[in-house]
Amino acid sequence: MSAPKSLRSPVPLPHPDGPLSPYRVLDFSDVKGQLCGRLLAELGADVIKVEPRGGDPTRERGPFYRDQPGEERSLVWWALNAGKRSITLELRLEEGRELARCLAEKADIVIQTFRPGEAKALGLEYATLAKRNPGIVVVSITNFGLTGPYRHKEATDIVGSAMGGHMMLNGDPERGPVRTTAPQAYTQANVQACVGALIALYARWNNGGRGQLVDVSMQEAMANTMDNAQQTWDIRRVNPRGPGLRRNRDGLPGPRYLYEAADGWVACLAYGGLVGPASEAIVAWLAEYGEAGELTSPAWRHRLQGLQPLSPEEGAYLEERLAAFCRRFPKDWLVAEAQQRGAGWAPVYSPREIVECEQLRAREYWVRVHHEDLGETFVYPGAPFRLSRTPWRQRGRAPHVGEHNAEVYGELLGIDSATLRRLRLRMVI
Amino acid sequence: MPRGKGVKPFAGIRVADFSWVGVGPTVTKYLADHGAEVIRIESATYPEALRRAGPFVDDVPGLDRSGYYANFNSSKLGVSINLKHPKGQELARRLVAHCDVVAESFTPGTMAKFGLDYERLREVRPDLVMISMPLFGQTGPWAHYQGYGHVLQAAAGFNHLTGWPDGPPIGTGVAYTDFLAPHFAAIALIAALDYRRRTGEGQYIDFSQFEASIHGLWTAVHDWTVNGREQIRLGNHDIDAAPHGCYRCKDGRYVVIACETEEHWERFRAALGRPEWCDLERMRRKGSRLREQKEIDRHIGWWCEQYTAKYVFDLMQRFGVPCGIVKTAEEMFRDPQMRHRRHYWFLEHPVMGRRSYDGPSFRLSLTPGELTKAAPCLGEDNERVFKGLLGLSDDEYEALLVEGVLE
Repeated sequence: MSAPKSLRSPVPLPHPDGPLSPYRVLDFSDVKGQLCGRLLAELGADVIKVEPRGGDPTRERGPFYRDQPGEERSLVWWALNAGKRSITLELRLEEGRELARCLAEKADIVIQTFRPGEAKALGLEYATLAKRNPGIVVVSITNFGLTGPYRHKEATDIVGSAMGGHMMLNGDPERGPVRTTAPQAYTQANVQACVGALIALYARWNNGGRGQLVDVSMQEAMANTMDNAQQTWDIRRVNPRGPGLRRNRDGLPGPRYLYEAADGWVACLAYGGLVGPASEAIVAWLAEYGEAGELTSPAWRHRLQGLQPLSPEEGAYLEERLAAFCRRFPKDWLVAEAQQRGAGWAPVYSPREIVECEQLRAREYWVRVHHEDLGETFVYPGAPFRLSRTPWRQRGRAPHVGEHNAEVYGELLGIDSATLRRLRLRMVI
Repeated sequence: MPRGKGVKPFAGIRVADFSWVGVGPTVTKYLADHGAEVIRIESATYPEALRRAGPFVDDVPGLDRSGYYANFNSSKLGVSINLKHPKGQELARRLVAHCDVVAESFTPGTMAKFGLDYERLREVRPDLVMISMPLFGQTGPWAHYQGYGHVLQAAAGFNHLTGWPDGPPIGTGVAYTDFLAPHFAAIALIAALDYRRRTGEGQYIDFSQFEASIHGLWTAVHDWTVNGREQIRLGNHDIDAAPHGCYRCKDGRYVVIACETEEHWERFRAALGRPEWCDLERMRRKGSRLREQKEIDRHIGWWCEQYTAKYVFDLMQRFGVPCGIVKTAEEMFRDPQMRHRRHYWFLEHPVMGRRSYDGPSFRLSLTPGELTKAAPCLGEDNERVFKGLLGLSDDEYEALLVEGVLE
């Protein structure tokens, strides 16, 4: 039975062309799993966010729309839950837990971030759900994994970054390790879990439709962002640390790659292309503006194209030349000119500069998302991938608390409005 | 079926992998470690950049000695084809006819130059799924830009958001987008494979590492487009949590402590034995604590200096406070949880010996990932693929060798 048209909420926007349009996802997760759910929705899946009565705790995370807290005003909620439907359900009551199990019978993927043991206590762990729906894929995202000595340890983003070996690689020799202010351990857990979910979904084709448990560890997700640090220890017995403005080479601080421009910073690879195939063009460029110094001499030319590593003094001289040159010009000009000369430079962009970036504008990257409840339209990031036949689609604003109760409980479980009212009075939904 | 004994998810899927460096090979590693036959197509005339980057075994450079390359290429086969040779291009097209997926990450236009663009490849394989993964996508004024993850992280905002507020935008110490973008690409690719399985239809995926990575900025874009505020790097502080920091302990190791909720804060106070500073009026609510982070850091920093990292970690965790030790690469190998999860695989390589490889961050109960072999040496599987799969005779194979097609 379907809800009357007037009760239909304006979101999510339909997406029948998405590659995952036949699938349904139940999302019980916190910030470690909500981006995973959102990506599935943008590929066409029907993603239902399950919130406790009174709203998901993520709604309390700042920053907020116009800096005023409120359950429909959290930008974290907006960014991670756009395109989903929302229902409320009290998992502290057995009646609520049973409703969750009934919904899981109608789903292909369940995303959870319950602590180890908690899903079992709720009767929502893989084994129980699979008895009633053998095809179910249960994605469990936890700090350290469902088993093992650290399974009950507390973690947030910075703990995931530290214990996942990533944070040691960021920072400065003097000031120590540093975290990326936008939470990357949460991001990594989400996107790697999404890969795991889709591998398990695909595995059903080969395994008679059987689903499985996907046990994701945030710590391991960060361990997979350590670049070549593990191999560097394994092979050279060197522990890389945060190299500041330089980049590590063989585990030790190598050439500087960040330089100050007239209006910000540029990232220039090692020595900005002064060493290697682009060196002649880059030296000529510096010379054009009188900043090449000794670099035009035959001896230097020989050094820059040769394979012998530079001495520290030679390296320091190159860095000095490059720094003096970059300081004079705006970063976008530097990057465009360097790229024309075959050197891979990029500007250091702030969020505003990313939104204004000519490349993204030319590709019509940004999408405008209408918030009819606020009477405003905002710019959101656009397609992270462009599939020619089954496109990605942004599906409108994030849902309000329980916005889709009537349609989801009606369509999926055949619950009529009188029963729905009773469930509400008993504080189940 | 017993646990972990399912048929591998991508059994029967064959991948022609023209990609290189970090992003592309990480995507195809997901497929290879879960049952696909992934064939890396490389060339000795223009070797894969990571084969030329360290760490090298015994510090001796060599195309088959790089740990950097090896880690991204477990479970794959390796062939060498000179794609600049017309016969090499023909051979590559013959190979693609036997493949379900083509992956590549060259500068846009390169595959077309070799006669290996999607339009031409779908003539030999109509249901092909092809993904192109350069830095900036197939179109636009930056499409031809060169670079690596180290500079892309700058354009994508990660430098701006990593470092101290009074210092330069140092960014992460890794080629960060190389470790973020591939997961998005894998999501798109597997979704396209699922669609193909249902409908028989292939497709082309235009993937821009830049465009995907922006989705890792959390609320930084929204805060600008909605509130007109530019988020910036905050050292180890957080826009919405306090205390939130990284502190040096007595033994020189670092710990991190973070209180995202009031509950965390209450537990933290208890763990410290409810010192006076925690009871100050301005410490009572998160909103005001966010303004007192310098003072909070001073107190916690002073306290941590008196204990070892292990002591702080154990104490905080006993009280339920999110706390961690900043681990080195060496400590990651010894980490009891990482060992329990068997994250690192140790695989025997003919030149490099037994070396460590990263496994996936997830355990699938029915079809777990399996790193079946170490990375291939350059051209290691030429005979197996060209004779066995494509059915070249010994004479044909030798003729290609002589003509330099397999270099």
